[in-house]
Amino acid sequence: MKNLIPYFTLGYPNNSRLCRFLDILPVEKINYIEFGFPSNDPRYDGPVIRNTHIVGNSNFSDSVYSRYFDYFYRNHIKMYSLSYYSDIKDRFHEFIAYLQKNRFSGIIIPDLIIDYFSEFRRVIEDLNKRGFEYIPFFSPATPDSIIKDVASLTDSWIYYGLQPSTGIEIPYELDYTTERINALLPGREITYGFGIKTDEDIKNLMKNGGSGVAIGTYLVKMIDSGDEKGFVDYINRMRGVLDA
Amino acid sequence: MITSLNRDIMPENWYNVVPDLPEPLAPPRDSKQDISSINLLNKILPKEVLKQEFTFRRYEKIPDEVMEQYEQIGRPTPLIRAKNLEKYLGYRGKIFYKYEGATATGSHKINTAIPQAYYAMKEGVNGVTTETGAGQWGSATALAASLYGLPAQIFMVRISFEQKPLRKTVMNLYNGNVVPSPSTLTEYGRKILKEHPDTPGTLGIGISEAVEYALDHDYRYMVASVMNVSLTHQSVIGQETKKQLEMLGEHADVLIGCVGGGSNFGGFTFPFIPDGDETEIIATTADEVPKFSKGDYKYDLVDSAGVLPQLRMYSLGADFVPPTIYAGGLRYHGASPSLSLLINKGRIKSDEVTESEVKDALRTFANTQGIIAAPESGHAIATAINYVKAHRNESKTIVVNVSGHGMLDLSIFGEKQ
Repeated sequence: MKNLIPYFTLGYPNNSRLCRFLDILPVEKINYIEFGFPSNDPRYDGPVIRNTHIVGNSNFSDSVYSRYFDYFYRNHIKMYSLSYYSDIKDRFHEFIAYLQKNRFSGIIIPDLIIDYFSEFRRVIEDLNKRGFEYIPFFSPATPDSIIKDVASLTDSWIYYGLQPSTGIEIPYELDYTTERINALLPGREITYGFGIKTDEDIKNLMKNGGSGVAIGTYLVKMIDSGDEKGFVDYINRMRGVLDA
Repeated sequence: MITSLNRDIMPENWYNVVPDLPEPLAPPRDSKQDISSINLLNKILPKEVLKQEFTFRRYEKIPDEVMEQYEQIGRPTPLIRAKNLEKYLGYRGKIFYKYEGATATGSHKINTAIPQAYYAMKEGVNGVTTETGAGQWGSATALAASLYGLPAQIFMVRISFEQKPLRKTVMNLYNGNVVPSPSTLTEYGRKILKEHPDTPGTLGIGISEAVEYALDHDYRYMVASVMNVSLTHQSVIGQETKKQLEMLGEHADVLIGCVGGGSNFGGFTFPFIPDGDETEIIATTADEVPKFSKGDYKYDLVDSAGVLPQLRMYSLGADFVPPTIYAGGLRYHGASPSLSLLINKGRIKSDEVTESEVKDALRTFANTQGIIAAPESGHAIATAINYVKAHRNESKTIVVNVSGHGMLDLSIFGEKQ
């Protein structure tokens, strides 16, 4: 089964609205869930997700979400944190302990190998020792040697951002993109994200060996408008596209 | 012209250094909170240029139509052993120079102007627009646009517009429309003129005006330098050089080029990066614009108005107004992200030379090799001469990129002209 991974920034647009959407999320249709912990500097996100961090920062309350973390865990949905290293580096161990306490499986750190290149090996090895998954995040700008090097430090799935930022629409060559990453990391689970728009894109990514897709920006629009039916229908439809 | 030989030297692909960098290239960042300046590029650049800007393809096929025009404007350019200069300096090693001044517009700039205008023409847009400093890029844009039947609107930094009237004539001959920047053609230009009526202008202001003009007139903006795609197109310089050295049975020990935004330098040196660390690479720039020694390695604005995305690069700050120096092409506040990363990691060394060193080097080069090089290229020649003096007892093979001729820049020699 291909992985469907919805993304939510905690605290956006407010705690009650997000909780409502988490309540109606058809858990049987998804595999993993990605929670963005609001960042002070979401530098590699596009304007839509960037705004969710700004708003989420002022709303996020740990006590609101702990029961949801427990709920997804009990439903066998693996949870991953999307966190910027710039936000957590000064309390890194404390933060990872918090995630582990809440039964998260791993963490995606988009700025680690870009802004903290000299530290990535130590951070990944530290997470490995703690039995906590580090999900390598790569983009088209990641050099071949770095992709191989970072991926070799983990056994986990790979998050490949198709665009320079979330929700961006720079033209790219889908077939060549998948061919390249498959050649560099044969046999690895590759989940694609950033700017995935159409069913056709998803079908082609899966046809070319992708293991799943992460959806973020598109969901924000439905959460913003309170479109609960559209949200549920969209998740169900994406499941169908992935399984086709 | 012996076409078959030309095609033996000219590469069939452009080379993109991004997949071979030692660390990931930091992606561009939006300059404003609520809008995506990255997405805005879709309206500013031809689609194919945008795709190439963000591609991870190591090699990009050069379209046949572009190859044909490359030949028409003088590619491949010659690689010449500077025996007279070697003798003058008493050097036991060898000095070669790649002479981009041999192109139709007299500099390397045409190497990326042609493909950008070609892709714009294929999209059926109304025209192309850009900024220019010394006028080399403006000349290349005007010619490339003319070759593909497109109008070209060029914003020329005011101080250069006033100091280099012949450049304006050249651009006009190529059917380009040239105005001094800041200008009254754009809202941003009018704002700057109101606030700073005596400003000499900067490339950052010129870029902002050209981008605004492109958005308002369904034109496409032509990228002179800094952005990766221009360095990729310029890789014809380095690839030809490698081939020419190979045909001569030579190997470069040292590569030296000048840096404004980094396009001629990146194009010249980056094709040597995958070969390992054996070749010493030196980027030289003006003492008056010390971006590598005094600038910060940080995200900064490409243009003064902040319309384009921010890039991580060595920068003196987008509001840096450089002195009105003799080498207009080196006045830019930043340098391309890939070059900046390689300098930051120590793979590429940097050097700065003074105006007097540059003028002496230009005179020496003219007297020994007969070539009157562009003031910008004079920085590379000066660094090469200094290198020889510091390594007199060695016998290395030094290759210098002479990015353009200086026949329209003779005023820098003042009364000695």
